[in-house]
Amino acid sequence: MAPNASSARAPIDGRNRRVGLIALSFAVLMLGMGYIAVPLYRMFCQATGFNGTPQRATALAASHIKVLDRTMSIRFDSNIDPGMPWRFHPEATTATVRIGARAMALFDAENTSDHAITGSASYNIQPDEAARYFTKVQCFCFTQQTLAAHQSVRMPVIYFVNPKIVDDPDLADVRQITLSYTFHPVAQSASGQKPAV
Amino acid sequence: MATTADHFQAHGDPHDHAHDGDHKPAFFARWFMSTNHKDIGTLYLIFAITAGIIGGAISGMMRAELSHPGIQYLGTFAGWLGVHNPSFDQQLHLWNVLITAHGLIMVFFMVMPAMIGGFGNWFVPLMIGAPDMAFPRMNNISFWLTVAGFCSLMISAFVPGGVGNGAGIGWTAYAPLSTSGSQGPAVDFAIFSLHLAGAGSIMGAINFITTIFNMRAPGMTLHKMPLFVWSMLVTAFLLLLAMPVLAAAITMLITDRNFHTTFFDASGGGDPILFQHLFWFFGHPEVYIMILPGFGMISQIVSTFSRKPVFGYLGMAYAMVAIGVVGFVVWAHHMYTTGLSEDVKMYFTTATMVIAVPTGIKIFSWVATMWGGSISFKSPMVWAMGFIFLFTVGGVTGVVLANGGIDDNLQDTYYVVAHFHYVLSLGAVTSLFAGFYYWFPKMSGKMHSEFLAHAHFWVFFVGVNLIFFPMHFLGAQGMPRRVPNYAPQFEHWNHFASMGYLVMASSMVIFFVNIAYAFIAGKKAEGNYWGEGATTLEWTLSSPPPYHQFETLPVIGDDHHH
Repeated sequence: MAPNASSARAPIDGRNRRVGLIALSFAVLMLGMGYIAVPLYRMFCQATGFNGTPQRATALAASHIKVLDRTMSIRFDSNIDPGMPWRFHPEATTATVRIGARAMALFDAENTSDHAITGSASYNIQPDEAARYFTKVQCFCFTQQTLAAHQSVRMPVIYFVNPKIVDDPDLADVRQITLSYTFHPVAQSASGQKPAV
Repeated sequence: MATTADHFQAHGDPHDHAHDGDHKPAFFARWFMSTNHKDIGTLYLIFAITAGIIGGAISGMMRAELSHPGIQYLGTFAGWLGVHNPSFDQQLHLWNVLITAHGLIMVFFMVMPAMIGGFGNWFVPLMIGAPDMAFPRMNNISFWLTVAGFCSLMISAFVPGGVGNGAGIGWTAYAPLSTSGSQGPAVDFAIFSLHLAGAGSIMGAINFITTIFNMRAPGMTLHKMPLFVWSMLVTAFLLLLAMPVLAAAITMLITDRNFHTTFFDASGGGDPILFQHLFWFFGHPEVYIMILPGFGMISQIVSTFSRKPVFGYLGMAYAMVAIGVVGFVVWAHHMYTTGLSEDVKMYFTTATMVIAVPTGIKIFSWVATMWGGSISFKSPMVWAMGFIFLFTVGGVTGVVLANGGIDDNLQDTYYVVAHFHYVLSLGAVTSLFAGFYYWFPKMSGKMHSEFLAHAHFWVFFVGVNLIFFPMHFLGAQGMPRRVPNYAPQFEHWNHFASMGYLVMASSMVIFFVNIAYAFIAGKKAEGNYWGEGATTLEWTLSSPPPYHQFETLPVIGDDHHH
């Protein structure tokens, strides 16, 4: 029997504590990674157009894009969150645009209720692979829209199809791109606070 | 290593007032404040068996309902939970509650506590020649957190969860069903239950990693560790890296539900698919967490009863490491129908199929261990061979499902149910019973009846195959999972499966009779009751082992077999 048991145990306790703390830090790191996944995923989607996230460009950048002699059909789709008392639809369901040329689409929205409602639109592109070429210059979906009771508005989207699309073998047989919007109600609060976007 | 050995020897001293290595605390202190790895292992096993009875009874309720098309029994079951004259929707909600409870109980409160908490706690210190786990008090906290988590899940069944009482969100808890789709506290209780069980698992993982890295006996290098210890080391790392991601995901669910965040809500800029990514980043390693300790036990058993060292020891150890590593990069094969691009599907199909390679190495090595061995068909060996067969069947259907194109057809059908029950309910559970019969006399000091153990195996084997094999047919014909009602053409095989449940359930009667027999009339177990094939360190001790073992550390020689 060792005469002073407590001091004899100290080295193994110290080593155990060190390994245990390293293991714990791995667990905490992974917990953090779970949360960082949210902004990382968003940055990744916006950078790559992954999973149908459309691209954005400034008007200046758009004016430098070469316009091709080929056309692409664009289909517009509109949806409303269930229970949101708005009417929302595109003025034309399809448009044929030259690849690279800026074009404008108009959407009509009407608040059919007796009180003001703020909405925000989420958007998606089909086929997914086309998302990295479908570029928006201006869109009502970039900001929240508030409609007074029974107010109607026309909302523009200015966009172009990046000419690099013609070089992508995955999209060689794509003749039409669908741009889909869904309007969601923004949680109302007296301070007009924005939700985390 | 001599100095280390002295420290270990000294470890026993604080408990050693009477200079009696077997001094045990009184009942309450021993079982409710336990810091002894063997006692905690026993508690985990009792807990897992209890939870398994509840989870198994729930599957009996589901098989009863599914034995015929239409809704037969859900109204009665709702009455048992205190809801009388339930509406049709409430009955369907109860179905969702049942599948949720069955999944969560079997995964978090039966397989994991039995494999990791039970056999892991009992045999990792014994096999590496350590006196106890590195953090005995944290070991105690792990266990009671798991119990608290189970209580939280049970409470959830009795509080409102949307349409009716209970959390009807599936074990996957996909948003938006688990957020805006389920009002009421039941889902919060269920999520909290996962928090508690997850925290317990993470602490357990830290404990195992520290124990295995720091507390091996002199001469026990990593490459001399028994394969069960290797399997627990890999499992602990999977837990450590996967569980916190689940904790993050379900914490986001809680805040989406209660604190107006919109992680998974498109109207606030979130994305419900994100939950699936986070969940399956945890969920796929989780299935390896459930099966790897079983792999380890099967390796010990096959080696013992073939009286040969395991064929290809290093290949076996690193196959488990490879399964663990690759297991982290295949998660989206659970999400083929969420709109992944072709390239992403191709990647996940390929990566998933790669896992068949290390798994194949393991199956091959088990068979090669038996090849030319002096095989004795004792009950653990019979269970282990049953495991190898059943797990291989489940693995083969897994390769089928790994194909993104085929999965478009089979997603959410009974084919998937058949697949994961072959690897878990038949694979993992069969390995649990193999381990149980292998080590039960070591843990209890009493021999079970070999006749009853064999009878248990054959009835169980027939029963589970009757239940789950026809589900391949049902799934291939398009029967969706997670529904209490189905089209009449599916009745034949569903009825067949429900009859199989009765066979399986009767095998469990044999199991409990066998345990009772062992405690009442079982012969006293010797230290090494399996004979010369059993070479790991736990067989050098008495059965049951002394309350404090290895006060003088064993020294592992260079000629040691695994």
